[in-house]
Amino acid sequence: MLLPALELTKVSKDFGRIIALRNIDLTIQSGEFVSILGRNGAGKTTLLNIISGVSKPSSGLVELYGGDPADTENKSKLAVISHEVFLYNNLTATENLEYYASIYGVKDAEQRIKDVLQSVELMHRRFDLVGTFSRGMTQRLTIARALLHEPSLLLLDEPFTGLDQLAIGILISLLRKQKELGRTILLTTHDLHTAKELSQRYLILEKHRILHDGLMADTNPDEIRQKYFSSDRSGE
Amino acid sequence: MRAALSILKKDLRMEFRSKDSILSMWIFSLLIFVIFNFTFEVSRLVMLEIAPGLLWVAFIFSGMFGLNHAFAVEKENGNLRSMALMPVDGGQVYLGKFMSVTLIMLLFESLIFPIFIIFYDLQLSFQMFLLIPVILAGTIGFTSLGTILSAVAVHTRDQQILLSLLLWPLVSPIIIWSVNLTGMVIGGDITQGFYPLLTRVIAFDVIFFAVSFMLFEFILED
Amino acid sequence: MRALTDKILLIVLLFAFMTSIFLIFNWVPPIKASNLSEQVAQKIFYFHVPSAWLGFLAFFIVFVASVAYLWKRKRQYELIAVASAEIGVLFISLVLITGPIWAKPVWGIWWTWDARLTSSLILWLIYIAYLMLRRYLPDGSKRANLSAVVGIIGFIDVPIVYYSIRWWETQHPKAVMASGDGSLAGPMFFTFMFSLATFTLLYVYFLRKRYQLLVLEDTVNKQFKEMEIL
Ligand SMILES: Nc1ncnc2c1ncn2[C@@H]1O[C@H](COP(=O)(O)OP(=O)(O)O)[C@@H](O)[C@H]1O
Ligand SMILES: [Mg+2]
Repeated sequence: MLLPALELTKVSKDFGRIIALRNIDLTIQSGEFVSILGRNGAGKTTLLNIISGVSKPSSGLVELYGGDPADTENKSKLAVISHEVFLYNNLTATENLEYYASIYGVKDAEQRIKDVLQSVELMHRRFDLVGTFSRGMTQRLTIARALLHEPSLLLLDEPFTGLDQLAIGILISLLRKQKELGRTILLTTHDLHTAKELSQRYLILEKHRILHDGLMADTNPDEIRQKYFSSDRSGE
Repeated sequence: MRAALSILKKDLRMEFRSKDSILSMWIFSLLIFVIFNFTFEVSRLVMLEIAPGLLWVAFIFSGMFGLNHAFAVEKENGNLRSMALMPVDGGQVYLGKFMSVTLIMLLFESLIFPIFIIFYDLQLSFQMFLLIPVILAGTIGFTSLGTILSAVAVHTRDQQILLSLLLWPLVSPIIIWSVNLTGMVIGGDITQGFYPLLTRVIAFDVIFFAVSFMLFEFILED
Repeated sequence: MRALTDKILLIVLLFAFMTSIFLIFNWVPPIKASNLSEQVAQKIFYFHVPSAWLGFLAFFIVFVASVAYLWKRKRQYELIAVASAEIGVLFISLVLITGPIWAKPVWGIWWTWDARLTSSLILWLIYIAYLMLRRYLPDGSKRANLSAVVGIIGFIDVPIVYYSIRWWETQHPKAVMASGDGSLAGPMFFTFMFSLATFTLLYVYFLRKRYQLLVLEDTVNKQFKEMEIL
């Protein structure tokens, strides 16, 4: 049997006296596209942070490709897209990407930077400071930044929030392409339709636990909303 | 090392993009000397005695300026988290930031020093070259602790105040010694104590650097 | 069991303090000093020096617990470090208060920028900064990590601070215990050691109590949260 891309065993995380995750067991195979759904504060971001190795679990075991997520080799396979764009306003688009290319040891960086800039339609602004970009443009650049080193595991934390239509379209088509390339992708979102469109599998996270783990094909967005997010279930 | 150099290059690029801040820092240190001159109306002899301290006050202010800046830009768009995600050791990140902070502080110091010489009418002698290792050692001590504590303080609301609270007491031994060594050079009395004291500063630089290098990983992690 | 230990500790502590006070004020002969106020002031020595020693011990424990935290990432080590830092600051505050009370009648001034005084003040400031940092940060593993780092660097700095000002001329009385020139005669030595032991016991008691309180706070909070979840 193939080694799973990701395996969590009994993972819990507390922030001091705040509980964020409780006893998460989760296995994800290489090439899966999984949507993680849940209310605000359910622990989605924390889960992604633990997978990326930024956060250490308070207890339990996390294995990425059979090793520690914090291993250098694993980190170079990983990319994160969230509302934090990880870019320097005082550098141009190209300079930002050059910086990341050198950190991640990207080969043939110049060509690669051109490619990713083209794919997010930012070639014409490549010599402008990121500080002068609109929100949508910055988000597009951060997509380019994330794909620069051709990661095999993509963690997307509500990537559609705050995007304009153009950026949403670009991101969705790029994600499709990544899926075809066989990348493993984890996505948290509130947009159930997009989740249904893109992913095969979905998890419902509620009250810091996995409430449900199922296949998208067996359900539809309205059913999910009805079952897990209707107002009479809200306990916030 | 490659990652550290990338960070250094990026930092210097950003720093020199806004030359305004370098200019304003230089004028600021000029002001320090002027204000001290107003507030302590003392004879030239006394002035010479407190001059080494004044010089280091100006240095420290310029250093604080750079340190406050160093991680503010990293916090801006979540870049601190980005650093935790990078496939490099925390120590490498520390090294990169340390180099950029140190180089910028040394640049400020080289701008401040000529003013100091002119205002206090110091005689340039061959011995003055001994100030180079003294200033280097003092500065590295200041920045090696300052870099890690700046990364700590940036997580708080009042990062500038907190950085001072954390850094000044911890770095006070290095500063006390540096002021002393500077005084010896300017006063022209290099006594037997000079070299052992300088060695001691360097030794503690090494300790501070090594400890910070090892601990930086934990600062990036959540 | 824990409660019983604490009770016994408290009772022993009470007797120890009463004995200390008796020893200090009634038993040990006064020093040969020119005037009465100096003789009385000297009694502060039995509180001042043990406080200083315990300050160091407390900060050493902060260091050890901080290292242990970064190693094992167990909440308990974080809590021990905080508890010990708070107590350490308390003891060094006592040093900074009792010092001037002694100095005024003997030196005629409350404060002087003397080596020993300055380094104690710096030490105090280092750990005040540590506690301030914690107040600024929200509870969580980030705070635990950051304060552990400061707890480690802080303690490494302690000997350096003392070393750095040692060559300053000091008016401060010599570290009598270390000098061993017989200036601390039999009864004085005994009284001092007794007082030191009493203070150490006080530290242990404080640390236990403070730690238990912090754990209790956590437990209450967690139970509250778990109730919300279920
Ligand atoms: N760094 C942190 N420090 C303290 N509490 C945190 C931190 N990050 C998240 N939390 C808490 O953990 C819980 C889960 O948060 P999060 O993972 O961000 O949820 P989501 O992304 O699903 O909205 C929340 O109660 C949140 O307040
Ligand atoms: Mg979130």
